[in-house]
Amino acid sequence: MALRLDKLTKSYGGKPIVEALSLDVASGEIVAVFGPSGGGKTVLLRLIAGIEEPDSGVVMIDGTDMTDASPDARGIGMAFQNYALFPHMSAYDNVASALTPTRMSAQDIRTRVDAVAGMLKIGHVMGHKPRELSNGQKQRTALARALAGAPKVLLLDDPLRNVDAKLRYEMRLELPVLLRKFGSTVLYVTQDYKEAMAIGNRIAVLIGGRLAQIATPAEVYDRPASVDVARLFGDPGINLFDVTPDPSGRITIANSQLPLGSGFSNSAGKPCVLGFRPDAVSLSQTANGATFPVEVLAETPLNDKSVLLLRAADGKEVLAALPASAAGSVPVGPAHATFAPEAALLFDRATGLSVTRGGQP
Amino acid sequence: MTAMDVLIIDKLNKLYGRPDKPVVHAVKDLSMTIRRGEIVALLGSSGCGKTSTLRMIAGLESVSSGSIMLAGRHIAALPPSQRGVAMAFEGYSLYPPLTVRDNIGFALKAQKLAPEDAARRVAAIAKLADIEPVLDRYPSSISGGQQQRASLARALVRKADLYLLDEPMGQLEPQLRAVLRGRIKSLINDNAMTAIFVTHDQTEANALADRIAVMEGGVLQQFASQKELKDRPANLFVATFIGEPPMNVFDAGVTRTSDGVSLALANGPTLAFGPGEVTPPVLGAIGGRTRLTLGIRPQAVSVARGALKARITSNQWLGDQTHIAAEFAGKVIVAVTPSRVAVRPGDEVPLSFSATDLHLFDTGTGAAIAHGREAA
Repeated sequence: MALRLDKLTKSYGGKPIVEALSLDVASGEIVAVFGPSGGGKTVLLRLIAGIEEPDSGVVMIDGTDMTDASPDARGIGMAFQNYALFPHMSAYDNVASALTPTRMSAQDIRTRVDAVAGMLKIGHVMGHKPRELSNGQKQRTALARALAGAPKVLLLDDPLRNVDAKLRYEMRLELPVLLRKFGSTVLYVTQDYKEAMAIGNRIAVLIGGRLAQIATPAEVYDRPASVDVARLFGDPGINLFDVTPDPSGRITIANSQLPLGSGFSNSAGKPCVLGFRPDAVSLSQTANGATFPVEVLAETPLNDKSVLLLRAADGKEVLAALPASAAGSVPVGPAHATFAPEAALLFDRATGLSVTRGGQP
Repeated sequence: MTAMDVLIIDKLNKLYGRPDKPVVHAVKDLSMTIRRGEIVALLGSSGCGKTSTLRMIAGLESVSSGSIMLAGRHIAALPPSQRGVAMAFEGYSLYPPLTVRDNIGFALKAQKLAPEDAARRVAAIAKLADIEPVLDRYPSSISGGQQQRASLARALVRKADLYLLDEPMGQLEPQLRAVLRGRIKSLINDNAMTAIFVTHDQTEANALADRIAVMEGGVLQQFASQKELKDRPANLFVATFIGEPPMNVFDAGVTRTSDGVSLALANGPTLAFGPGEVTPPVLGAIGGRTRLTLGIRPQAVSVARGALKARITSNQWLGDQTHIAAEFAGKVIVAVTPSRVAVRPGDEVPLSFSATDLHLFDTGTGAAIAHGREAA
């Protein structure tokens, strides 16, 4: 393991910020650390970097216990959302500042900086001062500095937060490719679920200082370990209903009884939360045994989808997302909604944990 | 002017001049007409002139030249309170000494509603804006997002000829945003209200607006429905600004063939189109050009079949869409599909797009030449 965290814990003033967090990151793996603000993401990076000291737990880097090691002895590279470049130094000197002249010859430093700058396609601006660089070039320069020292683990704290939407999209495509080229082991903090899915080999979902789920992007999206995780993924967000499945596997939504699909028999009679994503909702003008009546309130186009706001008979609001090709096909007014049973997710209402497949802790 | 036109802006200009500074021409000869019951978005990046435009309509900013006519009255010289507009602006804040409830109700006082009617309307709009729990709190004690929604509620609760909203949902958490968009659109449509809102976020503009005015450099680039902006962008700026991810763009050399046209992509293959693919109007629009710029939306690029070749650099599944990047014609081409695709970085894949999905632009001016089979 390039990085192993074992029951890492940190509190401020008695309030736990990171709680008994254990995580293994394989060499060359990119783990996206994702969750709402205040979830402990940045503190976690600071604990790994050695900028903060944990109350308890262990940080192992490349098989060595680094819990008590000083930050510069850990073999960590870091880049932040505000770039943190030295304004008076050229891009070249900024990148070279990560390398120690006592350990490397001037020639070796030059070779290394040139190689990293070349791979990040910023070789032509190495003579420029930070203020002469575009935001994208600043971002790459900060990344080059973090990569120059060939760190064992690279920590990136929301590096695309402050760049414009277009560049953020380009970097979202390009960054994982670049990081793979360097073979870096990366923890990548982000508040954007799409960025987490695009960049991470796995996503560590951090909620309230605890690891709510660690899994591949597709797994987290399709089989969220808890209601809280389910809520964080998808645009628009998931629809949630309080339900209690009956012994025949049916549930009641807005006074209508609907089939839930198979696999939930052991939840009969238990208070649950049912979740289905807006994409799983379909609408028709006629009722059948699997629909519930709704009022279509408004259609709001969203990129490649058309989002409909529906109101069920009990006043509960439901979002449906139709493909853009179906835009304008459902008029405002009464309709009947259903959801694809295979897309249904079920959670224990008391614990919030998935009862679909027994969520990972 | 027809009976349906409620706001007519004619050759509106805004110049900011300060001593020792060059004059800034923030809004240039803006003309647009908005119909009753329409929701219009002013969309652009910062400095495009959208906020200056909204502030001139509201009366918070003087007009350098041009006219603004609202519901049959010239309003450019009137103070804000006499214009018949309701507004929710950043910085046009809630009154600190009043509770949220009284802030919203205050706007109704001038309308001389019966107290129980006023209370009912305040309650209804508070429910819509999701601020019921904070109605009896003071503005300073609620969150930024709640302040924003309270300000929105205060504007929407009034009767007005026109509603002006500045970045109405900028601070909202994503889950609430989707629902609130639907509620606001439903309210505005049900009551045949006319609204203009400013945003830098095309997602917001697409979701709420019947028509979107795209602005850049103080100039109105195009004023059309979101579908029209996507299908028939007026120029390369609108084409690459509207749509997520942005349109793929390639420069091409043009050669007319006996029955069609061939486009030689810079650093890439030559695409030959026969008479079934390019129509006489498109050929006419291309005219004698020797080069043009070609655009293709990511949603129209297929990496499953075709005669062209590309090398995959990334394949990202986002839960409901796959985003694929591939090296093609010396650049990166992006393809988006709603399903999962089993290709890996390094794979060489077939690539294709249909002539009907192409957008052609003049390389020099950026003006649209043709969209699909039609001349622009």
